[in-house]
Amino acid sequence: MSTRVTIAQVRIDQSPAVLKAYGLGSCVAVALYDPEARIGGLGHLLLPNRPKKNALGSESKYVDAGILEIVDQLVQAGANQDRLVAKVAGGANMFETSYQTLIKSIGARNARSARATLASLGIPILGEEIGGNRGRTVEFDLATGNMMVYCARDDDQVSI
Amino acid sequence: MPFRELNSVQLDILKEVSNIGMGHAATALSQMIGQRVNLTVPNVTITEISQVPEHLGGAEKMMVGITLQILGDARGSIMLLFPEESAHRLLCSLLGQQEKGLVMTEVSVSALKEVGNILASAYLSALGNLLNKTLIPSVPLLAYDMAGAVVDHVLIDLSQSGDFAMMIETDFGGEPDQCLAIKGHFFLLPDPATLNIFLSDVGGSV
Repeated sequence: MSTRVTIAQVRIDQSPAVLKAYGLGSCVAVALYDPEARIGGLGHLLLPNRPKKNALGSESKYVDAGILEIVDQLVQAGANQDRLVAKVAGGANMFETSYQTLIKSIGARNARSARATLASLGIPILGEEIGGNRGRTVEFDLATGNMMVYCARDDDQVSI
Repeated sequence: MPFRELNSVQLDILKEVSNIGMGHAATALSQMIGQRVNLTVPNVTITEISQVPEHLGGAEKMMVGITLQILGDARGSIMLLFPEESAHRLLCSLLGQQEKGLVMTEVSVSALKEVGNILASAYLSALGNLLNKTLIPSVPLLAYDMAGAVVDHVLIDLSQSGDFAMMIETDFGGEPDQCLAIKGHFFLLPDPATLNIFLSDVGGSV
């Protein structure tokens, strides 16, 4: 019933399935849902933007390309793009202070890229649980469109 | 050079280099905790990025991660990961009796960072001597959270040049009667250009 979405993977399914992404740090989990068709998808995405050229490896590790891939797969499976809604979690900065490198704000950049990509597609974001410095596990329930976000360290959970 | 394209000879070179480096690191750790530390031969694994949390025992397992950048003649970064039980045992050896579970106080964070610093410095100095390069570790940073969340920092770095990661697994075992079984995972993350330097300097053709 519950399917796991590993790093750099996108997956779609239909009600009553549950999609899970474990241990998000700077990664973001983007969930897209068509509440009428009750189908949705979840992506566990690593890097903010797909480079214009010389992209190496899988497409679904990039936030922008990953979101487009979920939308494509959902539309092919019968979803209506105009009905899609989104929820976003993750994008933390796990190491308290950081070096002056790319990694410095990679979590924030991932979250920003998710927002920008969704905005350009006209998909509203209904819930967010992003930033901070804690790891998260998300559970996306395709029967309801709810996303549960668990934090192991402070034993906290929220529903978005 | 992408990790996936390494041949078995080059993997053996990296394994041996790591073995020597970790041997120095174990000696340093042993002096620090005042106990004998045995070290098993590192297991060098090249694996898909998405499988790394599995190799660490699952994405939700609580871990302490310490990361340092490599500065000097070569670039890259190092990440040391200790499962929380091992981090707790380390703290018991370093600071004396601890509370039952792992509690992150300012002192324990600082002690664990120091362990990271010592291990990384010993490793880099051995590696540097071998390669005739100056390798300096930066100030360590620490995170205590789910394994997946701690390592994705490293995976993001790696994923920019491919879909594979190189992991060096290390078991630090102490005296059998003292039950000091400290397990750790060590990631050496050379920049692709740096990996070429490592391999050509130790005689492996690139």
